Amino acid sequence: MTEAGDPAIEALVASARADFSRGLVAKASAIEAMVCRAAWDDARRAAHKLRGSAGVYGFAALGTYAAALEEILSNGGRPPNEQTQASVRAKLAELRAEAERASQEGP
Amino acid sequence: MSGSMFETGDVIADVYEIRALLGAGAMGEVYDAQDRALNRRVALKVERPGVAPDYLVREGRALAAIRHPGVVTVHTVGRHRGVAFLVLERVYGLSLDRMIEDRRTRGERFPIGEAIDLLVAIADALSVVHGAGLVHRDVKPGNVMLAPGGRVVLMDFGLVLPHADRAGHRTAAGSLQYMGPESLTGDIVEGAAALLDVYAIGVLAYELLCGIAPFDGADAQALYRAKMRKPVPSVLWLRADAPPALDELVTQLMAPDPQERPQGAEAVVWQLRSLRARVSAAPEARPFSVLIVDDDEDMRRMLALYVRAAAAGAEIETTGEGRHAIRAVRRRVPDLLLVDLDLPDINGIEVCMLLRGMRLGDACLIVSVSGRATKADVELLQQLGVRSLEKGPELMTQLAAIIDRIRPGH
Repeated sequence: MTEAGDPAIEALVASARADFSRGLVAKASAIEAMVCRAAWDDARRAAHKLRGSAGVYGFAALGTYAAALEEILSNGGRPPNEQTQASVRAKLAELRAEAERASQEGP
Repeated sequence: MSGSMFETGDVIADVYEIRALLGAGAMGEVYDAQDRALNRRVALKVERPGVAPDYLVREGRALAAIRHPGVVTVHTVGRHRGVAFLVLERVYGLSLDRMIEDRRTRGERFPIGEAIDLLVAIADALSVVHGAGLVHRDVKPGNVMLAPGGRVVLMDFGLVLPHADRAGHRTAAGSLQYMGPESLTGDIVEGAAALLDVYAIGVLAYELLCGIAPFDGADAQALYRAKMRKPVPSVLWLRADAPPALDELVTQLMAPDPQERPQGAEAVVWQLRSLRARVSAAPEARPFSVLIVDDDEDMRRMLALYVRAAAAGAEIETTGEGRHAIRAVRRRVPDLLLVDLDLPDINGIEVCMLLRGMRLGDACLIVSVSGRATKADVELLQQLGVRSLEKGPELMTQLAAIIDRIRPGH
């Protein structure tokens, strides 16, 4: 038998979700900063983390944007060329917009 | 790979693609290779030209006569550009000599029960080898692999001989420390060749329990004298916690006179099993414990909450690094280990392989929690006995179901 319905745990999960939600814009900004300084692998790892945690915290749309960004940043392990960098910036803008929306409205 | 007989990318006999050199010795080399026909990883052993002709064929034929989880499986033998090769099952894990060295370095000893379990597995595999009419002749910790799932595998049958090959047995072969004294003099009584392997089990047992080899000697003659000296070294000198019956058995196994040893590996298995039953194995009562390994703080926090939701009162430890996880498991094996695959230092698959190989993780369920495990990752994890979960909305329910199943009393 599990205690999945325990109100105390549910409150803690809700609190963790609220904290996560408040931190979303900062996470998007951190990835932007990595991209600005061409730290491609750091940016990929950060997008990967956000993809996983967004899925678990219930922010499915954000997870999808993070996954798309991770995919482009992976780029077969090579630094992105100019065209790919433009795609990275576009995906990053979408991610940031979704992060701003989700931090206000929730998942 | 310079100086090796094959290069990465070489394809042997149109089927086996060389991936890496695993090891090299006087007799030959062993490579990690991909079997393109059957799409599986194999170990490819090649014979150095000019040394012991046909020894690989002999090894292959011997292995083909045996089918046992404790004996490495042979796939085929062949020849490529004049070089003999043997294709074997690729056994992943850690060799027993590395594990002994690892524990010695950390100042740790094998618990008596664990040592007996290992010895039972080795002796059991040898009893099958002997049953096939063969003698291994090179039993030593370096030729024992500890593979995932607690599997103990006897490797390297390069010196194997039929039991009845008296002329062959008169030629000393093997590693001096583990060779019976009669092998050093070539004085092997008819029908007693298998007792060489029995002797080697004794030396290996001593080393496993005490962390050091029993005999000192700079050369074969000095070692021979040490091996003939009575009384033979006692495990109790270094392991006061060993049951006297175990000490007595190890002493018998290393008896200078073969006739004073247990008369076969099967007899050793039964004696060890009887001893194992007497060694207390009552588990200590303790709370359900979970180790969470993820470099994302948000994930650690939510996974910890999921665990608490499923198992109130669970002891939860978290870390963001694979190496810390290994150290934490060494300190104390948790009931459940949740590991992310994408870690900054060593990746999650390597963590799982290390834990399984070192048998530290056998007592706990390992579950990988990943955002993007590939099909190949999941298959490899399955082979390691690791369950794979996706980071997603279903994670809490899936985790709760797993915890429910493994929690004591639930």
